[in-house]
Amino acid sequence: MSRFEIGLWSFPILLALIFLRIPIGVAMFAVGFGGAYVLSGNSVMMLSQFKHLIYGEFSSYSFSIIPLFLLMGHFATMGGMSAGLFKAAETWLGHRKGGVAMAAVGACAGFGAICGSSLATAATMGKVALPELKKYGYTGRLATGALAAGGTLGILIPPSVILVVYAMLAEQNIAKLFVAAFVPGLLAALGYMICISVYVRLRPQSCGQRDKAPLAERVSALVAVWPVLTIFVAVVGGIYLGMFTPTEAAAVGAAGTGIVALMSGGLTWRGTGEAILETAASTGMIFLILIGAKVFNNFLALSGVPMQAAAWVGALGLTPWVILAAVLLIYLAFGCVMDSLSMIILTIPILFPILEGLDFGLPHGEFGLWFGIVVLIVVEVGLITPPVGMNLFIINALDKETPISETFKGTLPFVITDLIRVGFLIAFPVLTLGLVRWVY
Amino acid sequence: MYHRLSLWIARLARLTAYAGGLSLMAVIALTCVSIAGRALDGLGFGPIPGDIELVEFGIGFAVFSAMPYAQFARAHARVDLFKPLLSKTINRLLDLIGDLFLLGFSALIAWRLWLGMIDKGAYHETSFILQIPVVWGYRAAMATCVVAVIVALFSVLRSTRALLLPPSMPHATET
Repeated sequence: MSRFEIGLWSFPILLALIFLRIPIGVAMFAVGFGGAYVLSGNSVMMLSQFKHLIYGEFSSYSFSIIPLFLLMGHFATMGGMSAGLFKAAETWLGHRKGGVAMAAVGACAGFGAICGSSLATAATMGKVALPELKKYGYTGRLATGALAAGGTLGILIPPSVILVVYAMLAEQNIAKLFVAAFVPGLLAALGYMICISVYVRLRPQSCGQRDKAPLAERVSALVAVWPVLTIFVAVVGGIYLGMFTPTEAAAVGAAGTGIVALMSGGLTWRGTGEAILETAASTGMIFLILIGAKVFNNFLALSGVPMQAAAWVGALGLTPWVILAAVLLIYLAFGCVMDSLSMIILTIPILFPILEGLDFGLPHGEFGLWFGIVVLIVVEVGLITPPVGMNLFIINALDKETPISETFKGTLPFVITDLIRVGFLIAFPVLTLGLVRWVY
Repeated sequence: MYHRLSLWIARLARLTAYAGGLSLMAVIALTCVSIAGRALDGLGFGPIPGDIELVEFGIGFAVFSAMPYAQFARAHARVDLFKPLLSKTINRLLDLIGDLFLLGFSALIAWRLWLGMIDKGAYHETSFILQIPVVWGYRAAMATCVVAVIVALFSVLRSTRALLLPPSMPHATET
């Protein structure tokens, strides 16, 4: 077997292990380690790398942003900010047709501005918004669908843990990526609201009516969310004004959300302990995948597969757009069965260099930003599609009366909205890049 | 007996994660103070010297100490696509295999980190600005790796038990 063939064989073996429910990170690690042994006949090189590779990765300054953002998200969950955001959105939007569901989406967007994880956003907003949606006569299908979709805003609107990971792997500027995600994030929230509005007009029985809130109540509800706004501006603004490094911004954000949680009385000893444990669980998960992917990709580089694949794609003579479409379809398909973070970590080191070499008519350095946002949205679609869409299960678990099949049906319109939006973002890169060009 | 052990392992994993959490909080406090110092530069204050190094030490420990808990709580991402299609016994067998993989990983990492620690000690390598011996970071990480191996051993025991004992026995409910 040639080196190239060994490299190719690693893929079916890796997929088999992953589908046999071996934790993804350790499966990549094992295949990479084993593959390197087959390639070189011994493990001397890999073993001597491990002496310092693991410590180096775990203590790297740029990755330090990940646990800090995770902790920030958990503090935000405890600070009662989700309830405040929902109340503010509800008083402004609630009286419209389907307005309470729109408010849930809007509150998810707001919460996404201080939380970098979809699952945390979905779970937190779900707890606050589901009872209200039920109270105003929204069907389980619409309520759980809107919340599951709204949860994905958590990761699209900066700060975002996946964008941080993408930035490291594709060597992109985190601050610029956050700026680039801003308009697509707002478009997503707007798209979901339009989707709800269309849905309730087609199925008027799926929601009830809510009275218009008086202006005084609206204003006071809006004023009450100032901590969220302050923290968001401090974190994201601080990064791109160059006041902080991203790690410092994450630390400031964690401190800010921690203080808000403390003031609101949500940050008890017990709560803090839980936030630390949740942070530890997600941190451990992400860093295991990072190490596994590092080892697997080192092995792949050794086998020469990425280079040959790039040469092969180049020799096909297809237009860049067809290749991009094929890559996005792969992400979409895998996103339905695999967790989005693992997918990004596994594939970006292989696919990004190939795609970066193609000409999409973008100025130098902008492809990585645009591609990152598009890929992020495509993999997030996987979070709200069966069979393993995590957001669906999280929201559905909060609502005892709605069967999971109803939640599946409920998110379908939102998935369609997502796909339309991806089409727009691909056709008009300026939607993503415009703000970056303007700011920088 | 097993339940006693299970409680102790849970406590050990949690305590390690808490220690990492404290380290994370220390990093947050240090970074905020350093930023404040930098902002008040004109008034005779300044950033904490070597703040980046300290962040690296703190975060390194926090990440290492998250590992045992992630393993104990079965937090590692896996693809459950075929889970509903397979029988309970097969799924438990796959759980066991996954835990064996994780045990192998933890043991390998602990072994290599040990050698790395000896290297760093022998070369007396220190951090750039504060001259902190890097071996300290390795020692702290090594302690968590020992915990990780213990937790990984327990996880293998836990999934073996779930596989061999009748399903009515409590299984993995402690997470």
